[in-house]
Amino acid sequence: MAMSPRLRRLALTTHVTASVGWVGAVAAFLALAVGGLISQQAQTARAAYLVMELITWSVIVPLSLASLLTGLVSSLGTAWGLFRHYWVMAKLLLTVLATILLLAHTRPISRVAGLAAERTLSSADLRQVRIQLVADAGAALLVLLVNTTLGVYKPRGMTQYGWRKQHGQKVSEP
Amino acid sequence: MADLDRYPGTPRWVKLFGIFALALVLLFVVLHLTGRGLGDHRSSSDRTPSSGGNRSPQRGH
Repeated sequence: MAMSPRLRRLALTTHVTASVGWVGAVAAFLALAVGGLISQQAQTARAAYLVMELITWSVIVPLSLASLLTGLVSSLGTAWGLFRHYWVMAKLLLTVLATILLLAHTRPISRVAGLAAERTLSSADLRQVRIQLVADAGAALLVLLVNTTLGVYKPRGMTQYGWRKQHGQKVSEP
Repeated sequence: MADLDRYPGTPRWVKLFGIFALALVLLFVVLHLTGRGLGDHRSSSDRTPSSGGNRSPQRGH
């Protein structure tokens, strides 16, 4: 299942682009969520929530799915594997969790954007949900930064499965 | 050579990572189960107070 070097680089480039793009998009989302919450300008807050829904569906969700998919391809198509190294498993776990939480929390985004599309928001409108959006975006950004750190540093540590695989290959080599 | 062939065990960073992740998941579940999570997931018609009241929004404005 090993990929050719050219295909491997293409998969890695796509994965890094999607993952880093996801971080940037979530950072922009966080800025909009904070702006929408604290802005004294009603029109600014309204615009922020409308844009948040747009970038969620047109940028964040596609990039999260692309990051997950290209990560799976990159790991399964190389010697890293999916379950051989702890850092790969940790990244997979965080990416899956972040994607699930993102998809589960698109509803509050649509709620606030829907109300913003109808009329100008007051500071009391859906305040709890708007605070939740800030907290969600902050947590997501933290998780994605941990993911980026894991991908760059690649901390040591093989799983028992990975150890057996590597050891078995060495033994079977002539 | 026999020691080199033995599995060295789970690294410390993985254990710490696991404990931290488990604590976060538990916190998240507890907050949601007790209804103390940030915000809620009710539909938009449930509450969109414009003056602190718990009433349905005025549609058509």
